[in-house]
Amino acid sequence: MSWAIAIWAGALALAAAALAVTRDSVVHALLLLLGALVALAAAFFALAAPFAGAIQLLIYAGAVVAVFVFVVMTVEAGAAARARERALFAGAWQLPAAVAALALVPMLLRLGGAGAGAPAPAGAAALGRLMFGDWAVVTELLSLLLIAGMIGVRVLRRRQKGGRP
Amino acid sequence: MLAYLLLLVPTPPLAGFVLLALDPYRLDRRAVRAAALVAGCAPLVVMAPMALAHLTKFWGDQIAPIFTLHVGNYEVALAVGLDTLSAVTALTVTFVSACVLIYALDYMSGARNADLRRFFALMNLFQAGMLSMVLAADSITFFLGWELMGLCSFFLISYNMTSPRAFAAGQKAFVITRIADAALLAGLLLLFLEAGSVRLAELIPAGAALDTARGPLIAALLLVGAMGKSAQFPFHTWLPTAMAGPTPVSALLHSATMVAAGAVLLARFAPVLAANDSVAAATAVAGVVTALFGAASAVAQTDVKRLLAYSSISQIGYMLVAVGVGVPAVAMAHFVVHALFKSLLFMASGVLAHAGAGGTSIAALRGTARRAPISFAAFAAGAASLAGLPLVTAGWWSKEAILASAFEAGWLGLGVWAVGLTAAALTAVYAFRPVFTALRAPETETPRGRESWLAVGPLVVLAVLALAGGLGVKPLTELLGGHPPHPALWVELAGAAAALLGIAGSAAVTFLPALAGRVARARRLRAGLQMDARYYALLVRPYRRFVRRLSGGRGEWVTRVVAPGRGTEGVERELEGAVRHARQPEGATSDPVGQATVVLGLWVWRALLLPFSPDRMDMAWMQGARGIGRAAERARRLQTGRVRDYALALALGLAALLLIGWGMTWR
Amino acid sequence: MTGVSVLLAIAAGLFAAGLFGVLARRTILMQLISLEIMLAGPALAFVAAGAHHGMVEGTAMFLIVLALAAAEVALGLAIYLQLRRDAGDGDADAARRLRG
Repeated sequence: MSWAIAIWAGALALAAAALAVTRDSVVHALLLLLGALVALAAAFFALAAPFAGAIQLLIYAGAVVAVFVFVVMTVEAGAAARARERALFAGAWQLPAAVAALALVPMLLRLGGAGAGAPAPAGAAALGRLMFGDWAVVTELLSLLLIAGMIGVRVLRRRQKGGRP
Repeated sequence: MLAYLLLLVPTPPLAGFVLLALDPYRLDRRAVRAAALVAGCAPLVVMAPMALAHLTKFWGDQIAPIFTLHVGNYEVALAVGLDTLSAVTALTVTFVSACVLIYALDYMSGARNADLRRFFALMNLFQAGMLSMVLAADSITFFLGWELMGLCSFFLISYNMTSPRAFAAGQKAFVITRIADAALLAGLLLLFLEAGSVRLAELIPAGAALDTARGPLIAALLLVGAMGKSAQFPFHTWLPTAMAGPTPVSALLHSATMVAAGAVLLARFAPVLAANDSVAAATAVAGVVTALFGAASAVAQTDVKRLLAYSSISQIGYMLVAVGVGVPAVAMAHFVVHALFKSLLFMASGVLAHAGAGGTSIAALRGTARRAPISFAAFAAGAASLAGLPLVTAGWWSKEAILASAFEAGWLGLGVWAVGLTAAALTAVYAFRPVFTALRAPETETPRGRESWLAVGPLVVLAVLALAGGLGVKPLTELLGGHPPHPALWVELAGAAAALLGIAGSAAVTFLPALAGRVARARRLRAGLQMDARYYALLVRPYRRFVRRLSGGRGEWVTRVVAPGRGTEGVERELEGAVRHARQPEGATSDPVGQATVVLGLWVWRALLLPFSPDRMDMAWMQGARGIGRAAERARRLQTGRVRDYALALALGLAALLLIGWGMTWR
Repeated sequence: MTGVSVLLAIAAGLFAAGLFGVLARRTILMQLISLEIMLAGPALAFVAAGAHHGMVEGTAMFLIVLALAAAEVALGLAIYLQLRRDAGDGDADAARRLRG
């Protein structure tokens, strides 16, 4: 694989993302997000990181978006909702755009530099050795984070069931 | 490390004071009494083993540093320590105060104005102060305890707040001791400058080694401090009036412990005194003059508490004599014995006064021997000890040791001995007057009263010690590093004769109407040579006259200063109120010092503040103050509560950080 | 510009797009989608840098970002549902009880 394919895929993802954040309809935004995530997965495959790509597809494009879809199903759709959404968005987008650009510019300014050659492959076996070897503590912390998230969700939902405390 | 146990001695009373004074739980009377008892007796429990271990040479001198600060050449080192002197005095103080507190539990319950919480809180605070003074190993802790005692003395004399007499007595005691304390403070500070340290272990040798004119000055200042606290002539006037306080207070503070602290001070600084012959001689003379004067005044008293007060003055005079003739060990032995029998006398007289016709006059004691026999026996034992009944009482041994030491101390000592002997005879006269009066048949027959064991228990213990303690005088003197005197036989016989003669005289004064009448007429002697009136004529009246002249007769000068109007009515009104307050209703200037401050304040106000009051500067200030309020109102609006706005701020911060990062690596 | 530089620029662009979305949108659901995009930017940057340097740590960091995103989505959606129940609609600006 090569840098070129990755760049094309990345550009696609960027375009999808830019569209996603400006859509009126949540469903459209979600579909564009899915597109961006799949494009990123393609970029990962192109960057010789097939494991990352597969995970991206499975968890991000699969599980995360699926969860979103479940929630979006509860949101009313239709012309009225889209009009309200547009009204909410149209109010003030200039300042956020300026701030985002302000944050983007210094990041781009630091780019550039030497380096060439094909992307180096990152195998799943090496990744496994790293994650469960040197970075074992980090992995454990991640699992802790996920458990905390899970408990948090559980607590939030329970409050709903029992009514307001 | 064991030395730090010493800190546990003053701590329980202090904790008791804090508990009772802050009173977080609205304690009931039972709880107050329990807390006071525990806090009051705990020091004895802690102190007794330590003191005994030290006195039996099992435990050496201890020192427990608390806090040390080096400033240049000077060293501030707070510490408590245990040596023989502090062991003996602390043991005495803890023991006597435990006895008095147990007695007070019963006595104060029946008192008319029984705010037990305040009473016991102050008693405990006093204990803490006295114990930290006694155990102090540096002059700061020493002085702190010393002043704490003075403060408690004031509060406890004025304990009965509804009585103007008690209040005036407390004020008098406070002011007079303060005058002497200023001298003590000056002495201690001069000593500190010489020694460069506040540790007594360095102060005292440095003071003794001084050969400049400062040596006698320091010694004299210390002597004045001790005389003030110990109510020695001419500072004695506060002690008899201090008897307005409750009887347990008189028993603990104004006889046994606090008043005798002057003797402890002099015994502590005895090397400094001994290095200055003239001051030592002055100490002995002052002591013996006070002893004679106190004894003579006591003979003329009609009130038993005032009699005992003069007796305290006189007995502490003896201690000063002992320090003056160079035997502080003997002085401390007398301190211990005096503490025992004098607290006993006070407490027993309290019980007898309750049992009698009421009131503390000697005449009212008639017949109380039959109504309260145990207390009377205890009182008689104390009186015998005070009078120095030969051989069988502790008082005789210690007083005899003092007189014999004086006898052996050169030609001046001979004179001191002669006067002291006269005073001893007078002591016996006044000591037995209440005893004989109590033995007389009462005018009206009343049944035997109830004697609470809580009150009588301490009396019995103290009575036994007041009699049998004589056996301990000689060992105690030796322990304290003194040599018991070995006078000629006739000297001792003279002492014994003086006491016996005095008792006979006492009987004569009590039972012979002619003599009793003469005593009753000795008004001038009764009033302590009317020193109060003399002080008033010499010091107070001229000062008042001076102030009155300054203030223009009736104080109008003060009010003339006030310029009315000019937009500052509020302040003026307030100040005028202060002026009115400082002026007596009838126009006499009663509080010149307070008036002076008001005048000064008015002057400052007019000269410095009035010209500026409503001008631009003020307005600028107020504008600034209002501006802060407005700015706060505006800043408050930044907190929109909207997540997006906070995220915006975060993003701005991120952008700024990125820009800074880029700028720092820019080439 | 080498390949990795372009990819990093794209990653920065993703991040900025997501940031814009978070700041500009008022619907919580849209903000959450934008957050996902924000997180996708660094993920791409990590993987690209890992490929450039031939180090597996890039992919490992991607996994960490992934776990973070998963937890964030779960909690974010739970909070969204809660807010919708309380405030009626999904307007993030309606939840402003912390206002000063």
